[in-house]
Amino acid sequence: MPRIVAHLDLDAFFAAAEVIDQPRLAGLPLIVGGSPDGRGVVATASYQARAFGVRSAMSSAEARRRCPTAVFVRPDHARYLRHSRAVWALVDLRVPLVEQVGIDEGYLDLSSLVTTAREADAFLVGLQAEIRSVTGFDASFGCGTAKVVAKVASDFRKPCGVTVIPAGSEAAFLASLPLRTLPGIGPKADARLREAGLATVGDLAVLADHRLARLLPGVVGLELRERACGRDPRPVQRAGLASSISVEETFEHDVAEPDVLRAIALRLSDDVAVRLDRAARGAQTVVVKLRYPDFSIATRSQTAKAPFRGPDEIARLALIALVRALRDRPAPVRLLGVGVAKLVHSEQLRLFE
Amino acid sequence: MSLLEAPETLKITCSTTHLADRLAIASRATSTRASIQVASGIRISAPDAEGPVELAATDLELSLRVPLDAEVEEPGSVVLPARVVHDIVRQLRTDRVTITSTSGDGRAKITSGSGEYGVHTHPVEDFPRLPEIDAERTFELDRQVFGGTVDRVIRAASKDESRPVLTGVLVHLEPGRLTMAATDSYRMAVRETALADVVPEPVEAIVPARALAELGRLLGSSSGTLAVCVDRNMIAFGVDGVWLTARRIEGQFPNFRSLRPAAFEHEVRLPRAELLDVVKRVGIFARNNAPLRLSFAPGELTVSASTPDVGDAQETIPASFGGDPFSIGFNADFFRDGLDVTEGDDTTVQMINPIRPAVLGGSDDGFWYLIMPIRLS
Repeated sequence: MPRIVAHLDLDAFFAAAEVIDQPRLAGLPLIVGGSPDGRGVVATASYQARAFGVRSAMSSAEARRRCPTAVFVRPDHARYLRHSRAVWALVDLRVPLVEQVGIDEGYLDLSSLVTTAREADAFLVGLQAEIRSVTGFDASFGCGTAKVVAKVASDFRKPCGVTVIPAGSEAAFLASLPLRTLPGIGPKADARLREAGLATVGDLAVLADHRLARLLPGVVGLELRERACGRDPRPVQRAGLASSISVEETFEHDVAEPDVLRAIALRLSDDVAVRLDRAARGAQTVVVKLRYPDFSIATRSQTAKAPFRGPDEIARLALIALVRALRDRPAPVRLLGVGVAKLVHSEQLRLFE
Repeated sequence: MSLLEAPETLKITCSTTHLADRLAIASRATSTRASIQVASGIRISAPDAEGPVELAATDLELSLRVPLDAEVEEPGSVVLPARVVHDIVRQLRTDRVTITSTSGDGRAKITSGSGEYGVHTHPVEDFPRLPEIDAERTFELDRQVFGGTVDRVIRAASKDESRPVLTGVLVHLEPGRLTMAATDSYRMAVRETALADVVPEPVEAIVPARALAELGRLLGSSSGTLAVCVDRNMIAFGVDGVWLTARRIEGQFPNFRSLRPAAFEHEVRLPRAELLDVVKRVGIFARNNAPLRLSFAPGELTVSASTPDVGDAQETIPASFGGDPFSIGFNADFFRDGLDVTEGDDTTVQMINPIRPAVLGGSDDGFWYLIMPIRLS
């Protein structure tokens, strides 16, 4: 029996959280991020702001040029994590196997709940409505027989979309999409495939072995071609007992601006905090990893006196480590990663943050 | 003539043990941080030949003014290095000691018997201005009630300077009632108690826990009444002529009433002294953030702890528990503190579940100790 996997993606999550906490912001073009007067960067923009061409990771100054009426709000990650917990607590009640991969996204294994695409669609529409009425957040869902299909499908109709790809039609669904929509195709792979004349996921799916071996050598290429066909063996996994947790991001263009790197480090810190939270663990060390265009890797770690878990503390330590790494080697960066290590089993809970 | 304008020459003589005792008190407000050198000094002021002699010290957060019984041969003032002077005076074995300083040479002399000890002084004009005590705004409080309330809550205050508000104790004085609350965000102690004294106007101040700890020491070593003076920025406590002044901490104290859960799933009465002993023993094995585990089963409570590379321990005592077995973890020190400060033969432990706050209480209805669990893996 095929697995049925859904991907949940909360719509413009930070902006939505701000609107829930400050209803007067509803309907306004809202930008959560750094100050447009300084050298801040956009973390999230509401759909009203996106209509003006505002995008995540754009400089806040540029965002204001595109959308002069935008309201800027500084991010409050601890508060967003509390909102996120409420959403995922609800999802946990309805779905037995959930793998949260970020503050606003995760995979749901629906195999034990539904058997057909129609049932999956009905279930997800119901869950979407329940999330909306209980927490106030809008979510988009994608669903299919594999993680990669679910992930691409959740992005297919946003916001408030539910896109279920029936078993057997995965490859057809993916075929016409641009290469970059396939998770795992980074800027370099994209450029290389385009130079070779490929344009869509479908082109990759039918690429001959010898060309694949030349363009994307090794296991990576084989894995990406499988995904292009809608096949993805990765199971939905509950937060495990790893000894460390980390997330990283490879950039389309090498990034040299410290402010942009800081903004990305903040976002990655949120994702690390979420995974740590779900693993019910605390950590004592934050590790920042940088890869430079020459593929050399630098890591810097920062250890706290007491175990921590919240996004603010992770971000604080990550920024200290990042500043140290950039001071030691001020150069453009190809990849940035944030992780936590020295995980502790038990964690002292707080009465208030 | 005000104290600050006293000439810089000075000669006083007093009892050695009395001076050592008074220096010990004043030293509590000195700071050894290098950035404010004069804060490591104790000022001796003798404004005139007849008048009182006063020791004063401040680290800018806390200040102490301590009266000294001494014969004044030459009025004046001097700022002595607290550490070295205190160290030498308490080693003296003669009855009388004389302190002399001469204007302008930056030195003072301590003479006792055949001994003569010269020390470098700090400039008097650099000594911070100490807050004045406004006699009109001063009122008396029951030292037993006030000091007893401090003792019950102060351990829950935070030592983490990054959140100044939590390093203080909320002191709320209103007609007929005194309330104090302290929390480090992991636990919170609150006591509300009746107050017979007349308070001129209601006061709600966040007072540095350090200042209240010093006040506790002062009250412990004297039997005088407790005088209090409050203004916008500071609060002062007077005991036997010693005035302790503290800067009030600005900010919003957590709403402690709203943090107390309204209802609980479990309520267990436990023999306080016996449980405290168990916790002290088993707690030795809860180190490096390892939790003290309380496992409740019908009729009994098992307290256990285990620290990698150290060892493990468990003890079981009878308990009035009747529900489904469950376990909850606490920081051993926080839990022991809670048992320590509740009163009566029995401690009541109220719990919801292993990740929600628990409340310890005793025979005093006005006291409660809220404690957050350690999440057990």
